[in-house]
Amino acid sequence: MIFSEVYGSYFKAVSAILAKAVEGTLTEKELTRTVLANAFGESLITIPAKLTDGSWPLLTEGFGTPLRHAPHAPLTTLEKQWLKALLLDPRIRLFDPSEEGLEDVEPLFTPDQFVYFDRYADGDDFTDPRYIEHFRLIIRAMHEKRKLRVRFHGHRGTRQSYICIPYKLEYSSKDDKFRLITGFRNKPLTVNLSRIDSVHILEPWDESEYLQPREREKTLVMELYDSRNALERAMLHFSDLEKETERIDEKHYRITLNYKQGDETEILIRILSFGPVLKVIEPETMVKQIRERLAKQTALIGKENT
Amino acid sequence: MAYSELIKSFEKIRDYMREFYVYGFKSREDYTKKSARSYDDERRRIESWLGGYMAFRHTAEGKNVFISVDNRSVPFNPLHSAWKAKSFTDKDIVLHFCLIDLLSGGEALGVPQLADGVASLLANTDAPFEIDESTIRKKLKEYTDLGVFRAEKQGRSLVYSLAEDGVDLGPWREAAAFFSEEAPFGVVGSYLIDRMDEAPEFFSYKHHYLLHTLDTQVLCDALCAMKEKRCVDIVNFSVRHDKEHEHRVYPLRFYISTQTGREYLLGYHYKFRKPMFFRLDTVRSITAGPVEPHWEKYEGFADKFDENLWGVSTGGDYCIDHVELTLRVEDGEGYILDRLEREKRHGRIEAIDEHTYRFVADVYDAGELLTWARSFIGRVIRFESDNKFAVDRFYGDVRRMAGMYGGGEEA
Repeated sequence: MIFSEVYGSYFKAVSAILAKAVEGTLTEKELTRTVLANAFGESLITIPAKLTDGSWPLLTEGFGTPLRHAPHAPLTTLEKQWLKALLLDPRIRLFDPSEEGLEDVEPLFTPDQFVYFDRYADGDDFTDPRYIEHFRLIIRAMHEKRKLRVRFHGHRGTRQSYICIPYKLEYSSKDDKFRLITGFRNKPLTVNLSRIDSVHILEPWDESEYLQPREREKTLVMELYDSRNALERAMLHFSDLEKETERIDEKHYRITLNYKQGDETEILIRILSFGPVLKVIEPETMVKQIRERLAKQTALIGKENT
Repeated sequence: MAYSELIKSFEKIRDYMREFYVYGFKSREDYTKKSARSYDDERRRIESWLGGYMAFRHTAEGKNVFISVDNRSVPFNPLHSAWKAKSFTDKDIVLHFCLIDLLSGGEALGVPQLADGVASLLANTDAPFEIDESTIRKKLKEYTDLGVFRAEKQGRSLVYSLAEDGVDLGPWREAAAFFSEEAPFGVVGSYLIDRMDEAPEFFSYKHHYLLHTLDTQVLCDALCAMKEKRCVDIVNFSVRHDKEHEHRVYPLRFYISTQTGREYLLGYHYKFRKPMFFRLDTVRSITAGPVEPHWEKYEGFADKFDENLWGVSTGGDYCIDHVELTLRVEDGEGYILDRLEREKRHGRIEAIDEHTYRFVADVYDAGELLTWARSFIGRVIRFESDNKFAVDRFYGDVRRMAGMYGGGEEA
């Protein structure tokens, strides 16, 4: 059963409250804080009232509790089965978790039950020992808040070396690749993990140094003509980006997308793939690129037909 | 009934969340054909669960409410929250904590002892709170089924203890955080993260689709049937016909798009006698049927069937379309060849000359390749297929696009 109150935010919040009551550290302020940290926006109206008006008689006067132990529910079968299924995923080698406690558990699913039919074929090799070592060193540096020296070869084969703060490890399911998101001299720097030759952990970074340089964001406005189920297709396809949609009339919609400047070519390709149901209005630079591609295409077709 | 931010059934909220997340331009009037109160309650709930991810805009048509997320910047899928809002009774929550507390001593206890224990724990409360043995029995069975408790025979009666929990979540911390976003049933990973003091937030995701979490229950129901080699009855909502249809199929595999986030179930359709795809987000329910004695035969179809699938379309007639896409690749444009290699799912690439390359494939539906072919606009020398409709559409689209951007035919 996936949808169960056992996994719910209310049970999580009350569990944390009772743990504090058993410990003897629960106060009214702490109760409020715990609800805010563990449950939903309006839970503050419900949970404290239920715990104090006798509906859930789990707290006694003075924020004590009749319970003797801090609540700890064992993992459910579903949770164990999910963990067991992860052990069959090639990417699990990056993490090296323990199989202990899962020996007699059936996996919830197996990799052969899922086909990622449009995933690119040149994904990272998650079984490469050097790749695994680099991945784990980056994770360790992030935990320990330390800088890294990263040596890698660029797109044109040039060798590069940077001392940097690791901010994020970004994964793309479409590319099946990890990228290290970092920065150098206040400029964003993204390094494909598969291009990394070596990683060395250096000294801890200072809080004042931790200023992630942001890649420039751009805004794109396009008009959608809802034919061939284009509205639904576009809404889903671009749902990975922050967007706003306005209805102009029954068939026309205006979509505003935010994207990172470095992704401009990819966004352009994604828009072109929709054909004549999407028309870019802004920015002019993208409109110009599309015009150029269409002019080239028209010329190629013309040449072919002559 | 008084409003509560918790819900009994997931199905209704699934539709609302999808609408708020995917579209975002609809006004209250677009939703309130059935019930204005229902819309107001669901919107309020979603706002309560998602907080800062809800956005508003005032238009001439009224106030638009939508879910606004930059998927690349969120370490965890905010839509998982909906799964954590299941309603329950006062007795459910009180018994949950009392029974776990009574069994935390390590002793196995029978129903009478547990009933006494619960009564004793609640003895000093101001308001009377009575729980009978049959309620306790039901809760014990439910928790045994969930795997939280273990039941053993002792003489003629059952005794209960906490299930063994030999899993140390510490070494799973990073893996649970990553796979909660990148593996099927990610919401289960989210449940596990809730058990941790803190979860690492240093993973981010590009091309990340969040909506599929809302379809986890149908995924689960299909998977359970697959494990037991059972056929399933699918209630599917057809957007085109605005109507629900029932289908009996033998479930084979799930097909996931990393480029749209759409998820499909491939099943062998008994009535139509062919494999068919069902989009999980349009499936209302899946019910397991009898065990399929010839399951090996159907599962054998799946591999063969996949050989000519470009995406999830089988065309109208399950016949094979031959497709050839010839591209011009200039000097220094080796990345176009790289694109062809990594993005082609089937077929082969032939070098015609130094600057001309041809992709050749046999697929069920050449029309499905149009999306990909259009992404090469500017380099396409020829798009050929025995599927005339697809060829005409490709060239027609190029003409219309050229018109749209200034020159020739207008859309």
